[in-house]
Amino acid sequence: MLTLVARRVIRLGVVLAGVSLVTFAILHVSGDPVALMMPEAPEADRASLRQSMGFNDPLAVQFARFVTNLARGDFGQSFFHREPALPLVLERMPVTLLLTVLAMGLSLTVAIPIGILSAIRRNSLLDHAATFVVFLGTSMPVFWTGIMLILLFAVRLRLLPVSGWETTAALVLPAVTLASASMPLLLRIVRSSMLEVINLDYVRTARAKGVSEWLVICHHALVNAALPLVTVAGLQFGLLLGGAVITETVFAVPGVGRLIVGAIRQLDFPIVQAGVFLLALIVVLVNFAVDMLYIYLNPQIRVR
Amino acid sequence: MKRWALVAAVLSALGVAALPRPGHAQGKDTLVVALVAHAPTLDPHMHFERVGILVNVNMFDSLLHRNTKLEFEPSLATSWKAVSDTQWEFKIRKGVRFHNGDVMTAEDVKYSFDRVLDPKKKSPQYGNIRAIKDVRVVDPETVVITTDKPFPLLLERLTFFCIVPKKHVESVGDQAFGTTAAVGTGPWKFVEWKRDQLIRLEAFDQHWRGKPPFRQLIFRAIPEVATQVAEIKTGGVDIIRNVSADLVPELKTNPQTYVSSTPILRVHSVELDMRVAPFDKKAVRQAANYAIDKQTVVQKLMASLGRPVATTVQPQAFGYDPEVKAYPYDPKKAKELLTQAGYASGVDVTLHSAAVEFRPVFEAICQMLTEVGIRATPKMWDPGPAWNKFFQGEGKAANGIYFTWGNYSVFDADAVLHPLYHTETGGWIGKWYTRVDGLDRPIDEARSTLDQGKRKRIYSQIQQTIREEAPSIFLWTQYDTLALSKRVEYAARPDEWLWLFDAKPKR
Repeated sequence: MLTLVARRVIRLGVVLAGVSLVTFAILHVSGDPVALMMPEAPEADRASLRQSMGFNDPLAVQFARFVTNLARGDFGQSFFHREPALPLVLERMPVTLLLTVLAMGLSLTVAIPIGILSAIRRNSLLDHAATFVVFLGTSMPVFWTGIMLILLFAVRLRLLPVSGWETTAALVLPAVTLASASMPLLLRIVRSSMLEVINLDYVRTARAKGVSEWLVICHHALVNAALPLVTVAGLQFGLLLGGAVITETVFAVPGVGRLIVGAIRQLDFPIVQAGVFLLALIVVLVNFAVDMLYIYLNPQIRVR
Repeated sequence: MKRWALVAAVLSALGVAALPRPGHAQGKDTLVVALVAHAPTLDPHMHFERVGILVNVNMFDSLLHRNTKLEFEPSLATSWKAVSDTQWEFKIRKGVRFHNGDVMTAEDVKYSFDRVLDPKKKSPQYGNIRAIKDVRVVDPETVVITTDKPFPLLLERLTFFCIVPKKHVESVGDQAFGTTAAVGTGPWKFVEWKRDQLIRLEAFDQHWRGKPPFRQLIFRAIPEVATQVAEIKTGGVDIIRNVSADLVPELKTNPQTYVSSTPILRVHSVELDMRVAPFDKKAVRQAANYAIDKQTVVQKLMASLGRPVATTVQPQAFGYDPEVKAYPYDPKKAKELLTQAGYASGVDVTLHSAAVEFRPVFEAICQMLTEVGIRATPKMWDPGPAWNKFFQGEGKAANGIYFTWGNYSVFDADAVLHPLYHTETGGWIGKWYTRVDGLDRPIDEARSTLDQGKRKRIYSQIQQTIREEAPSIFLWTQYDTLALSKRVEYAARPDEWLWLFDAKPKR
């Protein structure tokens, strides 16, 4: 089991190295940030700024510098904000994480019970309704869902604020919007993996022993059905962080996603690098945690 | 037991969610403005972003102010005069206080200029005032500004050049001044800035003009237009900017909102690549100009929020010559010219645009060109890195680009002629696309004299030349359109500023 953990840790490092290489490379082929920073300045001024910012060095040298600084947690100064990039990203991280965790919690809260129910009552009205919702949810793009929810709950019904992050009520619509992106898949996973285990021998045995139906479902069936759910939920977490970028823009939420989108427009390398790197770090860590949880949940893996 | 705790938690969460919203547009004395973003700093010297200027002008004063009729008015300078071709004397208003209580003096004025002119500070506004060679304090109420050569745009530049408190900035440092300790002399003082959320200002009781009608002023950052519209309909914000033509009818008829619009200094054109066929021929460029039915486009696609123009110099700018007339819509003449140029059977071109909100307009233009034989393929770009790369990479083999120019809100012909048609390094379009020979000299000449009559004559000549040479398809000026909550009385300004001292609560 230790080697398994060690292997996962090594993979974590490789992924992070890849992420930093990719973020570094993509940005350096996409335009001239100096021209954006000083649109009206004479070429001579631009050239000297380019020189002083190290854009004239070979790419390999720039990358080596990037990685060395990275190790020190230094992503450089944001060109646009003229402040160190990392704190600017960290400052917004709690908002994005809260939004993502809320959305994840919300989708699990809906997906697990409904998924179980539609597995037990297969082909019932509820099952069909759930399938319909799954279809609807997967086919609606997040930004559209968001705007529709605003129109219904904020403009028409006046129940919730349109946008912002100042009140607790303001969290509801962005969280629901984001949850709508991940909930359908989770629901489908819960339903299908429950269906798989629910007719297995050990479940029947449990029932035959006279264990209450409630306990059979929640203890015997669900724990086994949870394995694929945990895996998918971990992967979905990354998807949700990505979706947060759009949700934050629609609902004017002051998170990392919005910061990154703005920075891409301005070719603000340090912000994009710091932001993407940190988000990737979180995704990788969450998946690492999922792997660990998986090992814990699944005795077969643990023993091997 | 556990289950009950869970139920209680869910219920209380719902309870919190269902609480009456404290809301944004609260009391009568609060005014909430939606901006698409916040500038990177509150320091009025360390950015050159429209969204930042709109916030800064309500917190800081400049030497001069521009009223809604675009005339100069005294602000921190009570009077000014040119002492010589290169020297201007300004009398500074007495007894003006900064938000921290300090009295504003000529020293602060000098400090503000020196700060931007200091190359080490890398101010993005350096280019605006780099003609200034020296700022001298004669006495506590008099400042003399010396320019390296005659600089007719000086007064224009001084309408947005904020005066900052020397002592305060030096003691808190540039960083804090731009984020947590902004201090000016303007009608509102800084309270808090939650980045990407809101900037909160509060009326400054000792402001020299008197108290502003609204006590609280909030600038929220809301990037998505649909969200801004939903906010103004529900009273979450009071003012939204840049309302596009398709939203105007809806916001006009909504019982909570009204619309205010005015022509601004943004001119639209299709810049033609004069280096390659077919637009290397003057006849083809003129044909393109005759091919566009400007009036119809403005009426049908822009909700009449635009005005056709003859060249890129606009009616509101100094130096505009009304005698230079716009190309009429004349498809027959266009076909004739095209035949003359040797394209009797037409010619294929590709035009590019990143002006997303004017996509229908751009496509209509391409269609109209196609109808006379200039078969134009529209190519839309996402504004951002790719477009910038294309645009600044000398736009290889592009026949033309849809282009809008905002004159940096400077009401002078120079603000469009120099950047677009002068070949000096740094001139964007003139350097690559629209190269009308022989314009450098008159542009420089008009730039370096204070004789307004002479400048007018030169500009008139230039407008005739560029109309004749037709380096672009000249189109129209744009209007700025605000949507406002009916509880606020305010009108859009030609310089796109939000000078909210003029905003009043409606009874």
